[in-house]
Order: sequence, then C-alpha cells, then structure tokens
Amino acid sequence: MSILEIWLGILQGFRVTALVTLYGLVFAIPFGLVFGVAQYMTTGPARFVVTSVIEFWRSSAVIILLFVFYYALPLAGLALSAMTVSAMVLGLNIGGYASQAVRAGLQALDRGQKEAGQALGLSRSTILLRIELPQALVAMSPTFINQLIQLVKATSLVSLVTLSDMTFRAKEISQIEYDPVPIYSSLLLAYFIVCYPVALFGRWVERRINPVREARCAV
Amino acid sequence: MIRTDSTLAVQITSLNKWYGAFHVLKEVNLTIPSGSRVVICGPSGSGKSTLIRCLNGLEAYQQGTVTLGTVRLGDNARETALARRQTGMVFQNFNLFPHLTVLSNCTLALRRVLGMPRAEAESLARHFLEKVRIPEQADKYPAQLSGGQQQRVAIARALCMNPRLMLFDEPTSALDPEMVKEVLDVMTGLAQEGMTMICVTHEMGFAREVADQIVFMDQGSIVEQASPMTFFSTPTHPRAQSFLHTLLH
Ligand SMILES: Nc1ncnc2c1ncn2[C@@H]1O[C@H](COP(=O)(O)OP(=O)(O)OP(=O)(O)O)[C@@H](O)[C@H]1O
Ligand SMILES: [Mg+2]
Repeated sequence: MSILEIWLGILQGFRVTALVTLYGLVFAIPFGLVFGVAQYMTTGPARFVVTSVIEFWRSSAVIILLFVFYYALPLAGLALSAMTVSAMVLGLNIGGYASQAVRAGLQALDRGQKEAGQALGLSRSTILLRIELPQALVAMSPTFINQLIQLVKATSLVSLVTLSDMTFRAKEISQIEYDPVPIYSSLLLAYFIVCYPVALFGRWVERRINPVREARCAV
Repeated sequence: MIRTDSTLAVQITSLNKWYGAFHVLKEVNLTIPSGSRVVICGPSGSGKSTLIRCLNGLEAYQQGTVTLGTVRLGDNARETALARRQTGMVFQNFNLFPHLTVLSNCTLALRRVLGMPRAEAESLARHFLEKVRIPEQADKYPAQLSGGQQQRVAIARALCMNPRLMLFDEPTSALDPEMVKEVLDVMTGLAQEGMTMICVTHEMGFAREVADQIVFMDQGSIVEQASPMTFFSTPTHPRAQSFLHTLLH
C-alpha cells in the first residue's frame, strides 16, 4: 500500500473527527460558560451542586465515560448514538475544564469593576454580561484555544465506540496490511496538520490581547 | 422618590458595622444638608472608605439607618435602588471599564439602566466629558489615558447619571502629583455648582478651600466635626491634632 493510499484512507476518517469536534463544542461551550458563571455566582449548597457536576465531567476518565454511556445506558433503556455519546462525553469533559477557566477569569477581575457597575446602578446581570464576562473571556481566550486542541486530540478515542474517525481508519488499514510505522506516522502527522493551525491561531490571539492586559496592569 | 425640595442630602443615625468581631464603624451619626461639601479625613484604617461605601450600598451594615434625601436605605427595594442610582461614586483606582471606550464607559448606565437611546446618551456623555475638559478623548480606551484623565472620565461617568450626591474615595491618592490639580479643579468646579459632595481625601488645601465641614475619624468613630477654619486652627481631639501635625510636617 502506497503512502498516498494510506493518506486517502486516513482522510476518510477526517469527516468524523471534525464532526465529533464540532458537536463536542456544541456541548463544551454552553457547559463551560453556564457552569463557570454558576460556580462564580453561587455560594453554599448551590455552589456545591455546581462544583460536583463540573468535577464529575472533568475528573472522570473520558475513555470510561465513553464505554459507560455507550454500552451501559442501553441496558437502562437509553440508547444514544455513538456520535451523540462521543460529542457529549468529550464536549462536557473539555467543558468542565473550560468552566474553570471562565470562573478563574471572572475571579481574577478587580473587585472594583463590579463595584463601579453597582455604583452606576447596573443590575447584576448587566454587570456580568457587559463588564465581567467580556473581560474574562478575552483574558482566557488562549486557554480556550488550548482546550480546543485538547478536544481535537481526544476525538481519537471515539474509535472505541465504533465511530470511524481518522484513528479508526488507521487501525483498519493496519489490520489489512501489517505496516504500522508509515500508517501511524501518517496518523500522527494528520492530527498535527489539524491542530497546528489552531495553535498558531492561539498564539496570534495571545499576542493581540497581551498589550491590552499589560496596559491594564500599568494603570 | 428623592424629592428635589429635600434639604437633607444624607442623614446617618447610630450606624454600626462589624467585620466579624471587628467593630469597624461605631455609632456614627452625621447630618449632611443638601449642597454641602464634607471632607472626611483620618488615619489609615479608621473606617472612612467603609463609611462612604455604606452610603451607596457597596457595604452592608448591621445597625443604624442611612437616609438619602427622604429614602431610608433598605426600607423599600425600588426606592433604595433609585436612591443609590442617584448617588455617584468616584474610586481611588478609577475603576473604569478597560474594554470599553471612554464614551461607552459613560453611556453604559444611561443605556442599560435608564434605557436612553444611543444618540441621546452619547450627546449627554460628550457634554460631561467636555465639562471635565477631555472631550477629545471620547473614542480612546482608558489604558490610553493618563491617570488624571482617567479619573476625570470616572467623574464624567458618574455625573451622567445626574446624581444628587457625589461620593469621592481618595480620588487623587493614586495620581502623580502633577495630575492631582486637574482632578481637584474639576471637583472644585462641581462644588461651586452646588453639588452635594462627600470626599475622603487628605488634600488639605482642597479641604480648606472647598469644604464646609471637616469630619475626622479615628478607629471607626467620628471624633471631631468642625468647619475647616476651626479644624485647622484649633483641633480639639488629640488624634486630630497629631494627625494634622504629621500631615503638615
Ligand atoms: N472586607 C473586610 N474584611 C475585614 N476587615 C476589613 C474589610 N475591609 C476593611 N476592613 C478593615 O476595616 C478597617 C477600616 O477600613 P477602611 O478601608 O474603611 O479604612 P480607611 O479609613 O478607608 O483607610 P485608608 O485610609 O487606608 O483607605 C480597617 O482596619 C480594615 O482593615
Ligand atoms: Mg480608604
């Protein structure tokens, strides 16, 4: 099998890899935002509940969650498609990490920002949406881009629940033709080609926001 | 509603506040007529910031009452919110919103709280930026301005909400000396227009010139309250005497 054929074979899995990433973001972004804000805004028992949900998704092993949701839930009468399970598990796992970045970004803001909003008579929700979140999200954007890269790489696990992503295709090819070195080297390169532009974009974003932060610190 | 004919801007009665076991404000009583300028001074940690932050709801207190105009804070949520909105506050560290332009800093509350249309809010904001003498900075971001300019933006931002009372918490102590005057000039201008002002400041020149009452705090209590003339020439409380002594020498 030529390198070109290997590449074409792996490429057939690109669509699934991209779809899991995209659907994963559909879970990750709302989860990260809502739970990050909720953890920042709540206290007492409510905060405990929020934190527990975050920790469940963040601290469980993704591979086990995939198996549990894919193989065990049908036994309880709830059968989800492999794509849904994968997007949900990977998305909420990354979303758990993202929520911590959101919360940390909000907590890192000067207390005076909120107080200035209160002194002007702004409602709590306006302060959050117009003053706190815009600043926190910008400050944390390099972290979010790192997490996007983590998500792309984590999609390689979905082959375990029968999705034919790039990793699944590579495994298939290597079963037909026992020649793992070129096949897995090509796979490695394939993930790199997807992730590296994202990393470059992240660095560009970091450069764009850093001058603003430095100027802010100088105040 | 705060009535315009109210002649008492602020009445503080038997105000007590604790941080845990620490008694930070002790039986504070203070009456501030409308249109007067009060300067609060005292050693660090004496409770000056805490006191004025109690006036606009940034700090809760456990005992006593604060009345702004005719509204007793906490009695009625809607009236309390309105009274607070009509109380402007200027902070030591400016607390401008760094992600918004100077103009948007000034229009945010007009638009989100009062629901004012953009064009109207912007022309009002430009009017107040003109008043603090920085109309040309409207489209810049706070980080592009000097400290003195930033503090003047903060004053304009507060004035946009048409406050009946302005609170200043050491507005010039984060500024380089050459910028102090431009901020004090704006504050003096406000005082001359009849704005009711409560200023925590150690700028004794300003206090002498502008204040009609000096309030001296020590360890959470008001220990001396006098006209500037009396306060500077014949302070009675030993702590006030030594405070003035260290300040002037
Ligand atoms: N959140 C808080 N928790 C506990 N103690 C506090 C808190 N905020 C202030 N204090 C204490 O309350 C006292 C009064 O503080 P405050 O900031 O009102 O003093 P101040 O007169 O404004 O002093 P300065 O001139 O340094 O600004 C200080 O002893 C301070 O340590
Ligand atoms: Mg203070």
